[in-house]
Amino acid sequence: MLFLIEYERQVGKVRSMKSFPESAVNEAQDARLRLELNLRRCGIDHEVVLLEAADESALYLTHARYFKSFDTLATGTSS
Amino acid sequence: MQQGFAKSQIDRLGERLRSGEVSEADLLLLDQYRRSFQGPYEAVVGVVRTRMDLQPTGRPAKSTSAIRDKLQRESIRLSQMQDIAGCRLVVADVHVQDAVVDVLRMSLNVGSIVDRRLKPSHGYRSVHLVAMHDGRPIEIQIRTRLQHVWAELSEKAADVIDPSIKYGGGPEAIRSLLDQASVAVMSQEKLTTMHADVQQRLAAVHAQRGQAEHDESELAELRSELIEVGQAVAQGYEALEAVLLRAMATMSDWEWEE
Repeated sequence: MLFLIEYERQVGKVRSMKSFPESAVNEAQDARLRLELNLRRCGIDHEVVLLEAADESALYLTHARYFKSFDTLATGTSS
Repeated sequence: MQQGFAKSQIDRLGERLRSGEVSEADLLLLDQYRRSFQGPYEAVVGVVRTRMDLQPTGRPAKSTSAIRDKLQRESIRLSQMQDIAGCRLVVADVHVQDAVVDVLRMSLNVGSIVDRRLKPSHGYRSVHLVAMHDGRPIEIQIRTRLQHVWAELSEKAADVIDPSIKYGGGPEAIRSLLDQASVAVMSQEKLTTMHADVQQRLAAVHAQRGQAEHDESELAELRSELIEVGQAVAQGYEALEAVLLRAMATMSDWEWEE
């Protein structure tokens, strides 16, 4: 699956997220460009990133920083 | 010429990104350039998935802000950037990490390998491998679970506290905790390696049993060594978790105060 993520770095929060099937890569790339252009026109500096993962849980594992707060980022280290 | 793009054209775009004066036409050009990595990205990630049965998280195209930040931070040209597209693997420990690197090295056309365990970058530990496909570099990040936790903590701190934290700057209190955590991760890796080494030696002695005279005292010694190192591994995890929890709490407080 593809995940289009709009992330506000300064506050460390995801502002929007949209998923696409793996077969819709061009559609996802188009959506990424559209979002980036729209944010630029509004003068908003958010990170726009397209990621590909098996599912949401895989995405949360490898890119936890987008989704987790400091309090939960390193939980379960020793497990 | 980089597959439809003149190198000079891409580097001029990079200069505009570096200066922060980017037009919509520039974003469109950057988009086209990034899309030209799609084929090589799919081929390389396909090898990781099928030959190694691993599930990487792919990033088909580096974000504009990440490209801009890197250009502003380093003297690199856009056409030289090796991580426009890539993927990340999080594996159990350093042994699996070594094995994955070996298999990737044999399965792909590897251009370079940067082992950040030997030379950490401001505490960041991992292995980055760049595979070349159709003239395009595709970066594969291989991190252990512990290296990954550290990296995520550092990146989050860079996001919400100070972007320079990732590159050795930022508030001393945060920097110091991240340094301590990185050293604890390194110690844990060494202990894990020692543990595996003792296990191997023990297995070798067991395998020799019955074939030749073996020394029972050697076996007992190895068993006791294994227990000792196993205890050190467990204690190491506890110490590491304590450092990470302290770092998280400090960062969390910092975030609220600022």
